[in-house]
Amino acid sequence: MYQKAFLFNGIGSKPEKLLVKLSPALTEKYQYYMDAEFSRLGLQTALEKNLPYDRKVAEWLISLICDRVVFEYYLSQGIVPDIGAGYSSGIVSISACFGAVPHEFAHEIIMMNRSTMRALEQHHQNLDMGVVIGLDYQSVQEIFKGRFTPEEVIVGSANSIICTMITGQAEAVEKALALCMEEGAMKAIRFQTGVAYHHPCMKQYSQEYNDFCGSIAYQNPEYPIISVFDNRIMTEGAEIMRENQLNVYTPIRWDLTLKKLTDLGVTEFFDVSANGAVDKFSRINRRKGRIYTLAEL
Amino acid sequence: MKEITEAIRQELTDLIFNYYAEECEVDRDSITMDTNPQEDLESDSLMFVELIELTSEKYDLDVKLQSIGKYLLKTPMNSMKDVVDMFCKIYQYGNEIVNQ
Repeated sequence: MYQKAFLFNGIGSKPEKLLVKLSPALTEKYQYYMDAEFSRLGLQTALEKNLPYDRKVAEWLISLICDRVVFEYYLSQGIVPDIGAGYSSGIVSISACFGAVPHEFAHEIIMMNRSTMRALEQHHQNLDMGVVIGLDYQSVQEIFKGRFTPEEVIVGSANSIICTMITGQAEAVEKALALCMEEGAMKAIRFQTGVAYHHPCMKQYSQEYNDFCGSIAYQNPEYPIISVFDNRIMTEGAEIMRENQLNVYTPIRWDLTLKKLTDLGVTEFFDVSANGAVDKFSRINRRKGRIYTLAEL
Repeated sequence: MKEITEAIRQELTDLIFNYYAEECEVDRDSITMDTNPQEDLESDSLMFVELIELTSEKYDLDVKLQSIGKYLLKTPMNSMKDVVDMFCKIYQYGNEIVNQ
């Protein structure tokens, strides 16, 4: 039933690294969407001219707009998804591309991250995230056992056997990353985001975000979407809304999501990020399928 | 310990240089043994991990990333020569690289 899956990335890629991967025709389309949306949302296209929180969300919007351009390109090439999955803010992106919400609304969801950041600042929260390269979920869990409480730091996303994202209190994240290096990680990088997406502590600071996510009726998506939280197959608009609301404060199991997709029969995965970022941090059993990127298509 | 011949070393060198040239989108001939993979080629750790996976598959090597990570703590990769030397050690010692 499912053969082709589209994979949407979260935030994190630098705009310049995304844009350089677009062909002139795709860049033109990107520019059109970007100009229209930045103007509508009151953002400066010269990112450095934005206020700090505006600049952050502006960078994230660029990711979403690139996703849209790549998604439309794939469709124009006759590559049509049977199902899809969104990693972190990729959930917002896939919600729009798969037709559950208008693109404009998805961009406004991204804008709402500003209210979450303001709430964290008002409550003097010092949070952070980081990524560990070379250690899997189990290894990181073992390292954390007895050393950190779940309130301090947790695995925010088990990406693959080679990549694990952690999230929590900034001080604990820093210590945890150093510990992972001592235990044989190839690399451990702090994001210095000031937020701890996918940590339950975020729930209390993201009420406005969640309320906004639930402020319109979602359409049933044109293609099913698999939940990265519990791997259920979602076909109803209300489920997609819930997925968006859970997103900020719920840990992800991206590794299990991809495994579930291969178990469901998916053999062709299409990375919708312009720079092939999903392909880099994901791993598919090579006997069962492979990930295609924009560069290859 | 596996024996490493000059032919295998050259094969590993070619594999590594070709990989970085393709991934980093640079001319193969512009890479030398003195090239710094991070600073000169802007390579990242995920690329490095993928190279380990490719090499392990090609030579049927049994090596855990964690063992290599511990080796890297003692021996940073500052040049392509360091990278080639490390892959030769992976080929020779597998998980025992951590004790080298």
